[in-house]
Amino acid sequence: MKKLLTSILALGVCASAALAAEPLITAAKVANVNDATVWEKAKFETVTLYPQTAIEFNDKKANELTAKAKAKKAQVAAVHDGKNIALMVKWADKTKDVQGIKCSDTYSDGFAVQFAAATKKPQPLPYIGMGSEGRPVIVHLQKATAKVYEPNGNKDVGMQINRQQTGVFGKELADFDAKVAALANTDFERVFVAEGFRSLTEIKDKSVQSSAAMTYVPGGWNGSLVRPLKDQYVNLNGTVPVSIAVWDGTNMGRNGLKNLSSWVAINLEGQKPNAAMVAELTTDAKGDAAKGKEAAMTNGCNGCHQLEATDAKSFMGPALHNAGGYSTAAYLRESILKPSAVVVPGYNRNAHANTPWYNIEKGKRVSTMTDFSFLDKETVDNIVAYLKTLKAEAE
Amino acid sequence: MSKRQLAMVMDLNKCIGCQTCTVACKTQWTNRNGREYMYWNNVETYPGTGYPKNWMELGGGFDAAGDLQPGVIPNLEADYGVPWDYNYESLMGGQADSHTFHPHVSPTWGPNWDEDEGAGMFPQDNYFFYLPRICNHCTNPGCLSACPRDAIFKREEDGVVLVDLDRCQGYRYCIAGCPYKKIYFNPKISKSEKCILCFPRVEQGLPPACAQQCVGRIRFVGFLDDEESQVYKLVHKYKVALGLRSDYGTQPNVYYIPPTESPAKFDAEGKIIEGSTRLPIEELEKLFGPEVHGAIKTLKAEMQKRKETGVSELMDLLIAYQHSDMFRLDNNYYQQVAKENKRNPLAPVDTRYIAGKFTTKGHTQTLFGGHTAGGHH
Ligand code: SF4
Ligand code: SF4
Repeated sequence: MKKLLTSILALGVCASAALAAEPLITAAKVANVNDATVWEKAKFETVTLYPQTAIEFNDKKANELTAKAKAKKAQVAAVHDGKNIALMVKWADKTKDVQGIKCSDTYSDGFAVQFAAATKKPQPLPYIGMGSEGRPVIVHLQKATAKVYEPNGNKDVGMQINRQQTGVFGKELADFDAKVAALANTDFERVFVAEGFRSLTEIKDKSVQSSAAMTYVPGGWNGSLVRPLKDQYVNLNGTVPVSIAVWDGTNMGRNGLKNLSSWVAINLEGQKPNAAMVAELTTDAKGDAAKGKEAAMTNGCNGCHQLEATDAKSFMGPALHNAGGYSTAAYLRESILKPSAVVVPGYNRNAHANTPWYNIEKGKRVSTMTDFSFLDKETVDNIVAYLKTLKAEAE
Repeated sequence: MSKRQLAMVMDLNKCIGCQTCTVACKTQWTNRNGREYMYWNNVETYPGTGYPKNWMELGGGFDAAGDLQPGVIPNLEADYGVPWDYNYESLMGGQADSHTFHPHVSPTWGPNWDEDEGAGMFPQDNYFFYLPRICNHCTNPGCLSACPRDAIFKREEDGVVLVDLDRCQGYRYCIAGCPYKKIYFNPKISKSEKCILCFPRVEQGLPPACAQQCVGRIRFVGFLDDEESQVYKLVHKYKVALGLRSDYGTQPNVYYIPPTESPAKFDAEGKIIEGSTRLPIEELEKLFGPEVHGAIKTLKAEMQKRKETGVSELMDLLIAYQHSDMFRLDNNYYQQVAKENKRNPLAPVDTRYIAGKFTTKGHTQTLFGGHTAGGHH
């Protein structure tokens, strides 16, 4: 460990951030996860959420605001009662942003918790953030939004109506208004299933019985989520990998403009932990980061990827200067050896017409990156160790 | 790119700024809360701030290399203007506290706020003209390119650009990406909405509401590959109809006949300067590109030809005698497409528009409940 520390210091990367492997969270067994008092005794662990900078979006103001985004620390605890799992995420946010219903350019604070559908094998886990083909993820999203005028309460935009055109007047209109008030949905909670970029699909058939909430306390948010351990999408047992994301409305955060954790292991108390998963998610990458940096340079990684935050942006490929924060070592390794396993589409499919990030072959996205499986195992390990050091300092 | 492309031509020499098109669109499509501030069709005075305010300076579109440019998302109050209402009810109901009309908010901005200010010095050389604008249903839409969720699509059968409201999560990168700022955020449903080129009407062989209602009869609608259509003739045969700001790289499909008939300037004595025109050609070049010179030349030559010989197909087209000629929308074509796709041609709203392109997993409910996305009815 000492040797790694020295080489990391030599690289000028924040040593403490690089060394802190993700914590192991234990979900205490409780009688009922819906009992609010369980959080008083729950043990909170610090999880670092890194700015997702792989893709640059085209919002000029947001890009200015997030140019020097730092990592955030969140306090995370979990409990389970054998039927349901509950998570509590606490994160600092000095400004409370609630998406209003009278503005076109304000954004809400929000958070998301992501579960991998298949949790047996740690390698490979789904791609963090969006899942990957054959490796779906379930995403629970909660945003802070103002009361939404929603006559049928089903988030069904087709049934939105304008009161001038309702054709109901007088008493009927009053009745209608009362019904609207009763049904108005204050809660922007969504559940999605995703199997790779651009496949995120909202689950609207109520087949996921979850409940999320956000409460603003001075200086930050408390976000909670309760969901079943088992439903048609996931079957959580032993060790559960979850990932957490938070959005900051002040920075015009939404979609990819967020802070994201890597996969974090949660052991369900009273169940047999998955040792391989725990090891994968809580230990540092093997390999020599300094040698890995050298190998990355000799192999021309920086020709397409922005590796360190100080490197000039090229966006010929995804920027990697926070990849070490939110990616697992297994994912980084896979990306080097099998670049087409997970393909990040550029923010703009028409951009860089001569240098696309991927081509479509037989309906599949095939990365234009060379496959580096010719490298020896040690070199790959070293590069992975180097990439794992690439991450922003925490706030 | 879509198989066929519907297009509209607007003859700016004939627009009188009456806003009938705006009203036709507004009454037809403000059928959902949160759409109140959106003018899918608006008519602005040029030069002027436009709608939303200074839209040409808000970025988006593509650079010469084909890269999407970052853009700015306008603010509802400052840049679009909050739509305001009056106290009709209390006034009509005879409540004691109100004997005058007053708006429910103190407006600070709105569409046409700076109406008809134009440029130049009145009365010597002042000028302005009207610029009606709708979504251009671009061949290379900035909105579509910017969307990280694939929620915007261009219909195969006619190139109409639509937002899939099931996939849209209200990220608003599309607004930043559209250089015309013709896509809007509905804050009540947290989704983007835009001009749909009245596709439910078009599928029935009717032109978009703005075009049908236009008092000046300035609008022509048809398929760009239909050599019989007036749109084809104006765009491709005579090349007098040009895209607005085609330098944005989106390949817009709304075309404009540039204004040529501006009044002459006055000299110091108040006499007309023969042969002068108040519209600076640089302004027209900025809007319609260098092709504007050729277009104006053709228009003038054909006008002259008409005067001398009485014959000019171009002038006949621009006079717009018959709606049936101005709008060539082959109804049978859509029925054929519907049949091929096993869709009901009479469906009031395109199922894809509301139900989602990728939601085939059975996780969604559609507008009509019980039916699944894709074919129904
Ligand atoms: S005008 Fe704007 S909204 Fe319409 S298709 Fe073009 S880029 Fe999209
Ligand atoms: S209805 Fe026709 S003439 Fe009137 S403002 Fe609209 S485009 Fe111009």
